[in-house]
Amino acid sequence: MFLTLFTYFSILAFIGLSLLKAYEYARMPMHGRWELYPVPKEGDGRGHYGGSYYEEYEWWNKPRKVTHAGEIVDMLKEMLFIKNLFINQRRQWWVCYSLHLGIYVLFVWTFMLFVGAVTELSGTPVAATAGVWGSLVYYVTFLAGAAGAVLLTVGAGGMFLKRMSDSTLSRYTTPQEYFNLLFLFAVAVSGLVVWSGDPGFNYGREIMMALLTFSPIQADTALTIHIILLGAVMIYIPQTKMSHYVGKYFAFHKVLWENEPNLKNSYMEEIVRDALSYKPKTGTTWSAPHINPGSASKK
Amino acid sequence: MSAKNIKPQDMGKPSEQLCKIENLMPLPAPYDKPGMEPDFKEIKEDWKKNYCATLDGFVANDALKRPETKEEEEEMIKKFLNGMEKLFLEDTNRGMLQPFMLSFEYCAKCNTCSEACHVFKSSGEAEIYRPIFRSEVLRKLYKKHKQGGSLVSRFVGGDIDINIETIMRLGELAYRCNLCRRCAQTCPLGLDNGILAREIRKIFSMEMGIAPKPLHESGTIKQLTTGSSTGITKEAFLDMIEFMEEDIYEMTGKKYKVPVDKKGADILLIHNAGEYMAWPENPAAFTIIMEEAGLDWTLSSEMIGYDNVNYGIFYDDVQGRKIGAAQLKAAKELGVRRIVIAECGHAHKASMVSQDRIMTGEDNIPRESFLPLLEGLIKKKVFKLDPSRNNFPVTLHDPCNIVRMMGIVKPQREILKAIAPQFREMTPHGVNNYCCGGGSGFAIMNSFNFTDFRNKVSSRMKFKQILDAFQDTIEDAEIPKYVCAPCSNCKGAIRDILEFYQATAKFNVHYGGLVELVVNAMVDIEKPFLEFLRDEEDMMF
Ligand code: SF4
Ligand code: SF4
Repeated sequence: MFLTLFTYFSILAFIGLSLLKAYEYARMPMHGRWELYPVPKEGDGRGHYGGSYYEEYEWWNKPRKVTHAGEIVDMLKEMLFIKNLFINQRRQWWVCYSLHLGIYVLFVWTFMLFVGAVTELSGTPVAATAGVWGSLVYYVTFLAGAAGAVLLTVGAGGMFLKRMSDSTLSRYTTPQEYFNLLFLFAVAVSGLVVWSGDPGFNYGREIMMALLTFSPIQADTALTIHIILLGAVMIYIPQTKMSHYVGKYFAFHKVLWENEPNLKNSYMEEIVRDALSYKPKTGTTWSAPHINPGSASKK
Repeated sequence: MSAKNIKPQDMGKPSEQLCKIENLMPLPAPYDKPGMEPDFKEIKEDWKKNYCATLDGFVANDALKRPETKEEEEEMIKKFLNGMEKLFLEDTNRGMLQPFMLSFEYCAKCNTCSEACHVFKSSGEAEIYRPIFRSEVLRKLYKKHKQGGSLVSRFVGGDIDINIETIMRLGELAYRCNLCRRCAQTCPLGLDNGILAREIRKIFSMEMGIAPKPLHESGTIKQLTTGSSTGITKEAFLDMIEFMEEDIYEMTGKKYKVPVDKKGADILLIHNAGEYMAWPENPAAFTIIMEEAGLDWTLSSEMIGYDNVNYGIFYDDVQGRKIGAAQLKAAKELGVRRIVIAECGHAHKASMVSQDRIMTGEDNIPRESFLPLLEGLIKKKVFKLDPSRNNFPVTLHDPCNIVRMMGIVKPQREILKAIAPQFREMTPHGVNNYCCGGGSGFAIMNSFNFTDFRNKVSSRMKFKQILDAFQDTIEDAEIPKYVCAPCSNCKGAIRDILEFYQATAKFNVHYGGLVELVVNAMVDIEKPFLEFLRDEEDMMF
């Protein structure tokens, strides 16, 4: 039963700690504007060449033209394809994308394991030779699992080697950053070992069924190690900068693409009014003489 | 040590000079031949002794003096660490906490941003100018400070010496970045090394009271006490306006009365006051445009109302806010409907973007750029223009603050297309432009040998772009060529490179603003407005 509880705990920790991280960023005070163009949501085709509403004469009297479609498309390009890296760093993109795509595909695989488990619990077998649905679930799970495992292994291992061997990258890589990649690599390799003994991922569906029915997970040594490593990495990720899936959202949406003007009687004006009425809580201030003449005279 | 093999950890290791620039990026013809480029000047011994020349042999920060005693040294380190902590606190860094923390926390060190940085590329890829180098020094310092010399600290990257050398060098290194934010455009995680350079500047200025004198002592402090960073007082300003009216009359035969402090005017036009002194033809051209268009406008002679400069945005949030508020106050007292910002890039950003969230209600007077206004006038054919008067090669420099940071891209191009038949773009341009090399205060920082760094390193990419844009005619000294830079600071930086490389003297390359080109094309004005097109007896400004 330990493995079942541990798996539940690690899933909850991953979600909970990621949400906590998001909450910490979300509750930070409104900041001064720090946008950077192109801002894809700018309407009238401006998102494409980097224009903004400031191109309009008396812009504050004109209706604000915003295209959320533009923003979503740009966001998806970045999320799904790591567009900026592809354009600016093609050679590194291959391994980096392999790692990220591996993770995305493994999410699909996890979902398919869930579908497979529900299917089996409802009495329909999942196997290569089962009926249409059973074999479809089997093969999609197989393909996603196989692709994900290989991509993640190649990506994590490749990035580790690249960081070690590239003299520029190695100069900036901390021991923790090597450790992070090795950790992911270890999870991937332990998964490959388990998979090699059961290519159809039946063990995965069994784990899923155990979770759904809250019963003990049957695992040999290799599977136990894999589950513990996977769980540990899920607890670990949100506490490190590997949680950049959270940071990236804020960096783009709340900083680089956040160009809402403070117009009279607008919602933004309310926020600004609130921010301006803030009273410092700690009494800590900057000490330079031009800011705090008191601190200079005390000295 | 080779400029390429330096690590952030080396910042604290004693050496006479951590990095020596060795392989400057080659320039295109005709500057590809030996002897075309002046060498770096030798650094003087007393600069080395009193300031920090141990980073790369340049001194930008003339307020960053070496401590003389052990106590002073310790005090300085302590203050730095205190200041660094304040970057992470809500009470002291509310206005930048979120963008700062994101860039501080999430960098994947993928190095995508390095290729985008003109300083790094121009220097021949000297490691200390790599955008993440200084960011990484800050990260290491913070981790070491928080976690000491423990194993955990080293594991997470806190492996740097916290000593006076690291801190002095970092105080210099914060002024090797133009804050142009071109690197941030390429970051897959949306992070920004520019903001980290600026936050380091804030520690030095806001906690330690150390900032380059041209920005602080003779910049914001002077502006807040005299009304302008140029030191122009109200009386001097009014005199200058009178002279300008006379000059315009002598030059164009047209008598204009420049409206000053006109209560209730539609537009308050604010120039960078440096224009009145260095390029008076620019406010003169504005005067002609506003008057010929029959606009209801005014200048202000009130405290800070006649200088749109705000160097605070380069290094100090508090100074930035004070100046921004004073500019809005001047406009409010005049009762104008809107403020129009003239040709100054950082003033555009300071006034319209950075200070957008410091006022509400009636105090928050609308601000706009002169560009859409001018574009509208030209499109409506308010002036009779003859583009053939500007029939020489013209290229456009995009000020980072107006373009990359505000998204004003098209109006200036529409204007140029209407008045300059030989207009050609630089490569790259628009939001992907390169900084002029004078950004974030460099244009006015002329202490010691820092001008060498600007002319040979930070402005190098711009000079290359200018040469590339004029490759078809560059060696034909008969043909004048014009770099249009609608920003005072950019103009300053471009003026200096054209002088330094003798591009005006040898190849007839000139520079100036956008409004001067518009006025030069005005049919009603007989003589050429641009100085390099005028005969000697026509010379005025
Ligand atoms: S591109 Fe972004 S994540 Fe990559 S090194 Fe530069 S700042 Fe860091
Ligand atoms: S902000 Fe500009 S100058 Fe500074 S590191 Fe980035 S690209 Fe280089």
